Amino acid sequence: MNITPKLLGVFANIYGSNDAMTFAKAALVAVVGFCTVLLILAVIALFIKGIAAVFDKSAKKNKTTNSPITPVPAAPSAPVQPSVELINVDEQTAAIIMAIVSHRSGISLDRLAFKSIKLSEDK
Amino acid sequence: MDLVLNVLKGLWESSGFASLEWQNIVMILVSFVFLFLAIHPKFRFEPLLLVPIAFGILLANLPGAGIMDDLTAGQIFGGDGSLAGQGEHWYDSGVLRIIYAGVKSNIFPCLIFLGVGAMTDFGPLLSNPISLLLGAAAQLGIYVAFLIAIALGFNPQEAAAIAIIGGADGPTAIYLTSKLATHLLAPIALAAYSYMALIPLIQPPIMKALTTEKERKVKMTQLRKVTKTEKIIFPVIVIVLVALILPSVAPLLGMLMLGNLFRECGVVDRLSDVAQNALNNIIVILLGVTVGATANGQSFLQVKTLLIVALGLVAFAFSTVGGVLLGKLLYLITGGKINPLIGAAGVSAVPMAARVAQNEGKKYNPTNFLLMHAMGPNVAGVIGSAVAAGFLLIMFQ
Repeated sequence: MNITPKLLGVFANIYGSNDAMTFAKAALVAVVGFCTVLLILAVIALFIKGIAAVFDKSAKKNKTTNSPITPVPAAPSAPVQPSVELINVDEQTAAIIMAIVSHRSGISLDRLAFKSIKLSEDK
Repeated sequence: MDLVLNVLKGLWESSGFASLEWQNIVMILVSFVFLFLAIHPKFRFEPLLLVPIAFGILLANLPGAGIMDDLTAGQIFGGDGSLAGQGEHWYDSGVLRIIYAGVKSNIFPCLIFLGVGAMTDFGPLLSNPISLLLGAAAQLGIYVAFLIAIALGFNPQEAAAIAIIGGADGPTAIYLTSKLATHLLAPIALAAYSYMALIPLIQPPIMKALTTEKERKVKMTQLRKVTKTEKIIFPVIVIVLVALILPSVAPLLGMLMLGNLFRECGVVDRLSDVAQNALNNIIVILLGVTVGATANGQSFLQVKTLLIVALGLVAFAFSTVGGVLLGKLLYLITGGKINPLIGAAGVSAVPMAARVAQNEGKKYNPTNFLLMHAMGPNVAGVIGSAVAAGFLLIMFQ
């Protein structure tokens, strides 16, 4: 498991230095450093993808198992449509309304579903 | 008459006015500008950071207060490095110098990371793992600044410490600098925190220059819903994974992930609350004031120090460039589904950078809500800058 630090350690012994460094050496360190960050974060991203796949699969499985016994109504927590139907309301007003609802309800916008926003004719 | 004059002369000589030098005046003016930027309703640039930092700068440049006096081997040195007297005990140092030990010993950076972890919702990152790549790309400035610093004649340790300013992560900058180039801790910490606070000023022109109006208007689709279990597993696995690859970064990242576990596990709400609020606020005050207080005019206004501050700005700018450019690439790859502005949030200043992405996106499309999407790269940037610091530690410690 400790192969990576050892590999970096070997690289450090060759290129990491306390003395003045040539620009070429520094450039190599910079490239390897940037690639290391990209690689480690890519590994974490892949890991997250893997976990997400496992959880999505088990969620689907649960849904299928449950469906014959208790029919699930249209899931309220399903992903929200990105488009909101605006009826006699301009986009800016709609944005303000959505922000106010989110703020007042304490629910973040990614968990709020807006189907339509309509101007009421009541006076 | 002579007596009166002598008394007045004595009063003048013992006052701070007599020993006030032009460097102090410049730094006092800088602190006024920072306070203005933090407090004026038109700006309000990260007041939680900028007010304590600015006040620290102000205090450190009021001569004679001895607030940053440093006791070393029986002698007390003033904030400007001049001999100020003799002392025996640790408490003979200036009050802010004593508190500054928390910065030098890395206690404050680690505790800040505990609070950041407890405040961070990794949900957006978990629902959109590609954010991690944006967080990685936004570390570009670290390596560009490293190369420039080497070209300017800094030694590798100093160059690495200066470069980490590009991570836009104060605690990480302090952590790395205290291990590689302690003598540069003051300007680097000050530059890192000041630039973090000034993000709303630094990033927008770069974001605008690198993106088209069409790209800035992109509305991103809803994020996938993340389960509680995923959120609990994430901090545990990440610290195991990263600490095994880069052990040197374990203290910082460990505290970040511990704080996040407090938040997500749901069984230690009291600890999570303290880490997020009381503890974090206390540390922000202590760290902000003492970091600001390191900016004594005589020692700060030197060519080398100003060069470090300038390099920090270059690092910051290139980090933003890296994030936005990868954002543009992802925009092309995904057929316009990713708004490149969120790439700028990959610099890890949480949540300032995400807020800037949100505000910029909203300027071009008022119905656009990029905040949650930008939080993904933003928190990825925290991990990215910690990993970058770990790499530099392995190289140069």
